[in-house]
Amino acid sequence: MVDFLQALVDGVMLGATYALLGLGFTLIFGVLRRLNLAFGPTILVGIYAGSHVGLAWPGALAAVMAVTVAAAILAGIYVERCSFRALSRQAPVVSMISTFAVWMQLQELVSLFAASRTMPYPSPAWLPAVAAGPILLRSDALLMWSGATAIMLALFVLLYRTRFGTAVRAVADSSEAATLMGVNVAAVGAAAFLVASAVGGLAGVLIAQSQQQVTPYFGLWATVKGLTAMLLGGAGSLSGAVVGGVILGVVETQTLWHFGGQWRDLAAYALLFLVVALSPRARGEPSL
Amino acid sequence: MSDYVVSLLVRIGVEAFVALSAYLLLVIGRISFGQQAFFVIGGYAAGISTALYGAPLPIGIIVGALAAGLAAALFAGAMARAGGIYFAAGSLARGELARVALLSFHHQVPVGADLTGPAGADGFRGIRALFTSGMSVTAYMVAIWGLLALTFLAIALLLRSRWGEAIRMVGEDETAAAAVGVRVGRVAGLTMVGAGALAGMGGGLFAHYATYLEPGHADVMLGVHSLAYAFIGGLGTPLGPIIGVAFDIGLLESFRFLAGYRMIIFGGLVMALLVLRPRGLLDEVTVHRVTRRLAGRRA
Repeated sequence: MVDFLQALVDGVMLGATYALLGLGFTLIFGVLRRLNLAFGPTILVGIYAGSHVGLAWPGALAAVMAVTVAAAILAGIYVERCSFRALSRQAPVVSMISTFAVWMQLQELVSLFAASRTMPYPSPAWLPAVAAGPILLRSDALLMWSGATAIMLALFVLLYRTRFGTAVRAVADSSEAATLMGVNVAAVGAAAFLVASAVGGLAGVLIAQSQQQVTPYFGLWATVKGLTAMLLGGAGSLSGAVVGGVILGVVETQTLWHFGGQWRDLAAYALLFLVVALSPRARGEPSL
Repeated sequence: MSDYVVSLLVRIGVEAFVALSAYLLLVIGRISFGQQAFFVIGGYAAGISTALYGAPLPIGIIVGALAAGLAAALFAGAMARAGGIYFAAGSLARGELARVALLSFHHQVPVGADLTGPAGADGFRGIRALFTSGMSVTAYMVAIWGLLALTFLAIALLLRSRWGEAIRMVGEDETAAAAVGVRVGRVAGLTMVGAGALAGMGGGLFAHYATYLEPGHADVMLGVHSLAYAFIGGLGTPLGPIIGVAFDIGLLESFRFLAGYRMIIFGGLVMALLVLRPRGLLDEVTVHRVTRRLAGRRA
């Protein structure tokens, strides 16, 4: 029972960052109706940039964080220009295919500038672990959870309490209707992309400080986690992405506790596969 | 022919099978990032049948294609009617599922003095049927290209037949295809099975050339590249993906000074082509014009 509870708590904390990744995916997909598979790789660029800063100036945590988010936003702008703005007149799948071409580029780019395959990432080591009865709350996991929750709250305030948020939700609902109401759909799309990249960069900081290292495989990893969280919650729903992320986190930590490490990824991919195979929306979706 | 040229031609030939596999799915309007799953399934199955159970090389290749086709049938059963991002996401999950599953797949039996077979993350060594059969690598390369030529002909003929018409209709508009009596689920499912078997055949051919396979061969970049090849070469003809492979491996990979920048150039090229020629160099319009001109000359 304690094991189950411990895994549940760990899962919720891990799931909070998956929820962030899912929110980034949902923001772009909801507004542009296009899938950005390069979302994970843009975060990868941010984390690698942050890792370089951490190696050059040990202890400069604030600088590491700032550079991580800034580099993720820059990479996001590149993706938006190349795969979305330049292809806005073509079918949505063309953008999806273009994002994986950008993905190849970004992944190769970080490998070019990396001294080794695995790069270290600094973490605030002075934070103590908290024990709540028999349950242990690791400091990096607590930081992940509280950071992700704070960012989510800020994001929901931005989307539900500001004019910009109203415009974003109007475009997501119907871009034609939003255009008729005087919303600049292209500008809102680009801005939503920026917000999503910033959220991705922040999620990257939280995840990397917990794992304390990063490999080029992180791009695929983050894309799959975000995609799973988004599709689990029903593509396009913001609160759904949060729920989906938490479910994914809990499924992963429960399999880790009860079956062992090699089953964890298997369970995550199987979950994505099941969601896609069983989703009633999948059938209505036009193909190319 | 130098060893290097032969090895290059083998790699182009092998990857052309995976590229044709991804192309067939594009014809039915599905985007797959996961054909590498069938590549490794075919490779492992072919390797197991020859290295562990002593099957002759051609039988091994056939077993690999059948195993991959069977795996594709299971997948098609779950996903035949899904489209768009759902199919793409499902195929991505499938590719990674295959890779992660192979990491814990152990099946070793004693062959001669030592244990042979898949050993999880350590891979599957000792697939030596090609070299014990006494066939030269050059002859093997010619055989691969012969098989590829046959496959190309079969796909080209299939796409021109009544069946091919149904396949292309499913790709254009499933509702309209169903309205004129095309059994969409069956056509899409069978195409997926055929595509899986093709990738599996490539896997079996590769396994016997490399004598070694590992879960890393199911890297997502193989699936992503296979898909990109069709978008470079063109969606109008099965020649398109083969041209794409030849361009990538024959040109980009053989230039030494490009080492490290290959993916950046390749990715940039795909991005530029998507803007300029969204359906590749040999798109349907070009292919139609060329065939009409050729037909006109003959008449």
